[in-house]
Amino acid sequence: MKKLVIASISLVSLAVLVLAIAISSLSCSHESPQAERAAPAAMEQAAPADASGAKSPAQPQSSMEAPDQRQTDQDQDAIFLRKELELRQRAGDKKGDALLETDEAGVPYANEITYPKNWGETTERGTATGTVARPPLLGDVPLAGPLFRDQERETGLFYSESEMEPSDRSVGGGARKAGRVPGLAGQGAMDSVSGVRVPHPAWATVTADEIWVIAKERGPERPEAVGPEYETPGSGAMLAQIKEEKVPLPLKHTAVKGHVSGYIATVEVTQQFHNPFSEKIEAVYVFPLPQNAAVNEFIMVIGDRRIRGIIRERQEAEQIYREARRQGYVASLLTQERPNIFTQKVANIEPGKEIDVNIKYFNTLAYADGWYEFTFPMVVGPRFNPPGYSEGVGAVGRGKAGISGQSTEVQYLKPNERSGHDISLAVDIDAGVKIEEIACASHVIKKETKGHAKAHVELSPLDSIPNKDFVLRYKVAGGTVKSALVTHRDKRGGFFTLMLYPPDDLNRLARSPMEMVFVLDCSGSMNGQPIAKSKEAVKRALRKLEPDDTFQVIEFSISASQLGPDPVPATPENVQKAIRYVDSLQGSGGTMMIEGIKAALDFPHDPKRFRLVSFLTDGYIGNEAEILGEIHKRLGASRIFSFGVGSSVNRYLLDRMAKLGRGAVAYIGLNDSGTEVVDRFYDCISHPALTDVRISYGDMEVSEVYPRQVPDLFVGRPIILTGRFSGQTRTTIDIAGRLGSARRSIRIPVEFDDDAATHPGIACVWARKRIEDLASQATYDTDPDLPAEIKQVALQYCLMSAYTAFVAVDSTQTTAGDHGTTVAVPVPVPEGVRYDTTVQD
Amino acid sequence: MKRIVTFSLVAACSMLLLLAPQASHAGRRVERPVRFAPVHIYLDSGGKPLAAYQFELKTTYGQIKIVGVEGGEHPAFREAPYYDPAALMNDRIIIAAFNTGRDLPAGRTRIATLHLQILGDAQPEYQLTLVTAADADGQTIPAVLNLQTGENQ
Repeated sequence: MKKLVIASISLVSLAVLVLAIAISSLSCSHESPQAERAAPAAMEQAAPADASGAKSPAQPQSSMEAPDQRQTDQDQDAIFLRKELELRQRAGDKKGDALLETDEAGVPYANEITYPKNWGETTERGTATGTVARPPLLGDVPLAGPLFRDQERETGLFYSESEMEPSDRSVGGGARKAGRVPGLAGQGAMDSVSGVRVPHPAWATVTADEIWVIAKERGPERPEAVGPEYETPGSGAMLAQIKEEKVPLPLKHTAVKGHVSGYIATVEVTQQFHNPFSEKIEAVYVFPLPQNAAVNEFIMVIGDRRIRGIIRERQEAEQIYREARRQGYVASLLTQERPNIFTQKVANIEPGKEIDVNIKYFNTLAYADGWYEFTFPMVVGPRFNPPGYSEGVGAVGRGKAGISGQSTEVQYLKPNERSGHDISLAVDIDAGVKIEEIACASHVIKKETKGHAKAHVELSPLDSIPNKDFVLRYKVAGGTVKSALVTHRDKRGGFFTLMLYPPDDLNRLARSPMEMVFVLDCSGSMNGQPIAKSKEAVKRALRKLEPDDTFQVIEFSISASQLGPDPVPATPENVQKAIRYVDSLQGSGGTMMIEGIKAALDFPHDPKRFRLVSFLTDGYIGNEAEILGEIHKRLGASRIFSFGVGSSVNRYLLDRMAKLGRGAVAYIGLNDSGTEVVDRFYDCISHPALTDVRISYGDMEVSEVYPRQVPDLFVGRPIILTGRFSGQTRTTIDIAGRLGSARRSIRIPVEFDDDAATHPGIACVWARKRIEDLASQATYDTDPDLPAEIKQVALQYCLMSAYTAFVAVDSTQTTAGDHGTTVAVPVPVPEGVRYDTTVQD
Repeated sequence: MKRIVTFSLVAACSMLLLLAPQASHAGRRVERPVRFAPVHIYLDSGGKPLAAYQFELKTTYGQIKIVGVEGGEHPAFREAPYYDPAALMNDRIIIAAFNTGRDLPAGRTRIATLHLQILGDAQPEYQLTLVTAADADGQTIPAVLNLQTGENQ
């Protein structure tokens, strides 16, 4: 009996203890620092979501907010919205007219809901009521810009909600407390009867920086854009057909100044923000930089004052920024969403004021087939995210923040809209050897040579719309390109980069038979010119196959399909059949690249042939980490050549695919000849590669060389090695590898002494390569220490990464009021990409 | 026996009542007040032209985070100075700048403004250490460094 009693007591005590622990963990779970740190290492690709919101509705709210407070806020928000809907119904659904009040100055305010002053002017369906002759109120534009302009074709409601601090939210939201809001936030399904947005449960969790939703009432339909011009939005023809609408935005201009020394570029990017509205704003701009950019300097410019931003752990930087914004200080924050996608936030820009942000980075230029290539991306292409994925990059229409459910979101201008944002770009080249030719297929440029080795290139003012990659190529004198070493020393030690060229005599050897697999992206974003370029390239490649080769053609969009069950010999009949198959392909649907990867890599390899998989895609996906992980898992003996097709492709994905696949990457712009690119590709693969490459640095103490696994050396495709060294000496680098079954060795004398070419950016370039290596490892390795390693390197070398961010605050004065309303900077869809097939609207 | 069972149940309930509020309270973050303020750094080079400097700032009381670095008043040092990111990882703020031009400041001049986030209510007590000040030839010059807080101005 006693035992029974003791057991029961123990049981009860245990239950109590478990209950207490459960309560404790429930209370702590949402803001546990351990939980924050436990973000998968692969987040270098899929960066942690901004806790400040404007991202995934599923994201936890700011850690500054207590959990019970958040719940209260959500409940209040829900109650508030219900109340607002009831009031609207009572008022005969007249869009809140009954609720509208104005202050002494005639500016609208309300205890609960306020619409812009000119609201009444636009309440009649489809009625245009004249130009609003005043600075635009926040909420007029760009949030619901069309609503308040002449000749508007739609009317509707728009709601907004600024981010509320806990104390404000408890009384119904900070902005509401302040008495002036452009509207009320809401997100939900459209009621098919009333045309009013009805909150769904997810709304309650959306406590982001700001949510803007436009609820369209039934009115005159927007004119349909039809005809062949619609294939290429952004062209003059398109703009001529539908009246262009200029949208005032907080980003006025981007100025890019590059300097190339040898094969290393130093680039300064200045983003000029301003506030064209009548109220204070926070500007948010999602923009691209080169995927290998080592961003190491960030300066906020206010008038003639320049405030250097500080590198911090990302969450810490975000907290500092949020607090500064809340207290009314001018502040800016730069975060990395992908290695080639960044978010710039500038808080508390007062009406009429300008604030510049200056970003500096280093990167190494690509070199292929005799040409160096300087690239500057100007716009983030619209990405497809697989169902159920929330860490991607959403593509939504202007003013539709939050509807993608992705952690990062890019807003796009409609085809007939044009922002005032333009771009200027200038590059000074100091090649060190004679420049033979300079070419730019993407843009109109002005070029000027200075001596035989220097040149100055400028983007023509006639071509200043930032809707495609700027790609500048220059060719140096034949025979002068040799393996090049550049070093840098500082108190941290010695750093070097070595561009290693393949031996010339590879050209004289013939290749072995190949198993070629062509994988075409046939998703909606490829529709039009990109898929035409892909087809042109694949057909050319098919015709160049040799009789001993075999091939397969695979297409993917939502799912994958292929020419036949197995690779077939490259007979003329099979090639013709394949060409007909390729001709029949069309672009539509989503980009389930994973299906293409599986189809291309998941069949038995013919050991007699060198398998080469060529992906032709724009890379417009948001789940890059997942794709790269799959490639690593399934690669086997295959080599991957990735072809980026389009005007503004995802170079990060394509480069990483090629690196993981031990192949190479090439780009086919809309103005490039697909056949020429394929011919160069065949020049490259028509000779055996030097494989299993091993490098010995002689007596030199060399360490931490990246990439860790030296890629194969293909004809015309040098590789760049970056590492650390100590000591000063001349040495000989031995490069050994296999050419088919034979072994081959190359010796290159180099000087690691003070006479070697130097560049101050080499340390950053090395650190960036190390981060890239760790991040790449994170796509397939679950080592929990990887994020900490990335963070450590990034902080030490003052570099952007998924785990670090730059923050700058001007603490000398505060602006009036608390914080401004968030205004996203919408961007044009890349040239050649269709808005209607790629953007969620 | 009944007493024992009753006693154990009462004890368990008491424990629950005691533990639950504590657990709930533990879940809440105790917010420390946060404010922002500048600190202006002045250097007196005693009449000699100043071409380079390096200093370290820390607190002997209070907690600060640097959130921006701004240049000084003289054109030679108007550009935002550099900070040592590696030192920052160890909560050390080391600032440095140089100018190779000929128009250099002499005497007392504001060389930098540090923008700080101050955690907590306390007024921080700063300690400023001049690591070096040099002229255009790279020679160390005697100099005096001091600061002026920008709060409540």
